[in-house]
Amino acid sequence: MNVVLVGLNHRTAPLDVRERHTVARLQLVEANEELARDDLFEEAALISTCNRTERLAVAAEPHAAADRLRLCFGESADPDVWHLYELHGIEAVQHVFRVASGLDSMVLGEAQILGQLKDAYRAAFEAGACGAILHHLFQRAFRTAKRVRSETGLGAGQVSLARVGTQLAGEIFESLEDKRVLLVGAGEMAESALAGLRDAGARDLVILNRTVETAEELAGRLGALAGGLDRLGHELAEADVVITSLTLDRPLLSAADVREAISARHGRALLIVDLGIPRNIATDVNSIDDVYLYDLDDLDVVAQRGQARRRAAMVPAEAIVRREGDRFDRWRAGLAAVPLIKALRESGEGIAEQEVRRALAGVAPDDVETRRAMERLATSLLGRLIHAPLTRLRTEAEEGNAPYYADAIAEIFGLTEEDD
Amino acid sequence: MTSLLPHEAASVLYAVAAFIGFRGARRGYSPRAVAWVMFAAVLPHAWGFVWLHGQDPPVSLSTFPAALSLIGLLVPVSFLLSLRIVRVREVGAWVAALSALLTAIAAAGLRFSAPIAASEAETGALSHAHVLLSTLGFSLLALSSVAGVAYLAKKRALKGKSPARFALPSLESLDRMAHFTLTFGYPLLTLGVVSGFVWGIRHGYSPWSGHTLWLLVAWVVYLLPIGMRVIGHQHGDRPARGAVLGFALLAFSYIGIRLLGGAA
Repeated sequence: MNVVLVGLNHRTAPLDVRERHTVARLQLVEANEELARDDLFEEAALISTCNRTERLAVAAEPHAAADRLRLCFGESADPDVWHLYELHGIEAVQHVFRVASGLDSMVLGEAQILGQLKDAYRAAFEAGACGAILHHLFQRAFRTAKRVRSETGLGAGQVSLARVGTQLAGEIFESLEDKRVLLVGAGEMAESALAGLRDAGARDLVILNRTVETAEELAGRLGALAGGLDRLGHELAEADVVITSLTLDRPLLSAADVREAISARHGRALLIVDLGIPRNIATDVNSIDDVYLYDLDDLDVVAQRGQARRRAAMVPAEAIVRREGDRFDRWRAGLAAVPLIKALRESGEGIAEQEVRRALAGVAPDDVETRRAMERLATSLLGRLIHAPLTRLRTEAEEGNAPYYADAIAEIFGLTEEDD
Repeated sequence: MTSLLPHEAASVLYAVAAFIGFRGARRGYSPRAVAWVMFAAVLPHAWGFVWLHGQDPPVSLSTFPAALSLIGLLVPVSFLLSLRIVRVREVGAWVAALSALLTAIAAAGLRFSAPIAASEAETGALSHAHVLLSTLGFSLLALSSVAGVAYLAKKRALKGKSPARFALPSLESLDRMAHFTLTFGYPLLTLGVVSGFVWGIRHGYSPWSGHTLWLLVAWVVYLLPIGMRVIGHQHGDRPARGAVLGFALLAFSYIGIRLLGGAA
């Protein structure tokens, strides 16, 4: 069984392409179920965040599986295939580990991606698409991320898109204390961005959402005012910083909407951070005087600046990813020996049971103590006898030598299927 | 002339401050260092200027080098004082560069031209009021123009999603600096111009020289950004553009006309 990954991300595809392929959080389980229905895949999972959509599969025929995964992104004639990357085996595993650790993120070392990856794993698990290999892969990815954060400088001073948003606000405003921050949508990333601005001194916070109850709940936690999207025009006129993060088919605000809302601002600057995928704000809004629109791609450019210190931490972080990738690969290779180990154990247990039964034929039925002692003896003997060969087999399997040792052990213990 | 040494030392120190400011933006030096070096430059500069003015008879302040020296002194002094109101330390490099240039030209002028003693008419209180008010107004408007240029540069960088070439304060800080210097500088300049008119009429000078005509043009143009800011409560790039244009005309009336030989 091999791990295969096909996907696109902020490095390979522009925002409009990423927008087309993103899968909303609510549709993740359904999309995973669809993958799970494909016979070509033993296991599958879908990772879809604001900056990447990746499909992951475990398959006996990796190249056929990769072709099928590519088809999930559209027909082969689709120009979007040029934005896709395909990774196999250890490369795919290490890629997932890098993603979990924030090494492949727009903002190097950001922590939010780990939560998004956990959501992806949960959805795959709920859809029944995740088996032993992907389960182990995700668990090890989470562990790798933890190690990278605790053992390298990559985790020092949490960097996130939220922080980049705060940095941008600092480029425009002297202080956020007297500024109104408007959050449109109550997604996790937007919440984090709002919390970042609040930490930077913003006190006047407003949250608007399609579901007012959700906005109220979040507003309660952050000490903000809440309302529905019907108040957007009014609030836009008052706001200094706007963060949007809705999942929409078309932009929420056009240039005309924004122009109308800010007509009476007398040149007061308005920063709009669009975290939505697809974009919530029409791109030509940036052409309006005194309005500064930043979408995810723009934030990427901002995030790339001043990351020299974090880049220095990449070397040890990459080393951890490689080591953890090798461990996973060894574990996966060791799986080849599992059927033999199981057969050897079952065979041994069958023999032991037969021998115990034969030995107990001469023991009085009410002599429970002797019976138990003999059963214990048989189990113990079996364990001691097969422990060394099984351990060796597992170790050799992890080194990729499973076929040679498996054949020998099967031959020695008579586990080969006899030809008729 | 011993007064030249402090001028030259000040010019070098301003240049050092500008160098630290521009280079430090890339290397992470604190803009506070620029303000301190600028302060260190102001001390010999002020001493040199006071020495110059304390000669018997005093050097005429209306001569080009002396006027430049006073502007070169008041610009950083105004800037250092404005730091108590707005957070614009990053602009220090630009101000220091401007002062270095003005002081270097003044020092060169003082070294290579014979000093002109102030006439009796130039030693009166009204003459001093005129020179001080108009030069202080000019200096504040120069700062307003620097803030305007910095605002426009920063805005361009933010709109284009590209990093600014130099570290600059926030747009809001620059706008506040432009507002503060314009609203203080313009009335001071007006008082300076009026006192100059009165002084000129009293001493029999014609007020309609090339200098005063261009000065009036600049004064009228300045009504635009002043009106936008004070009456229209307008912020942002339009008043910034107005301030830059106004200062270009003002600088021409002060310096350009003199260089062209049309001074009163």
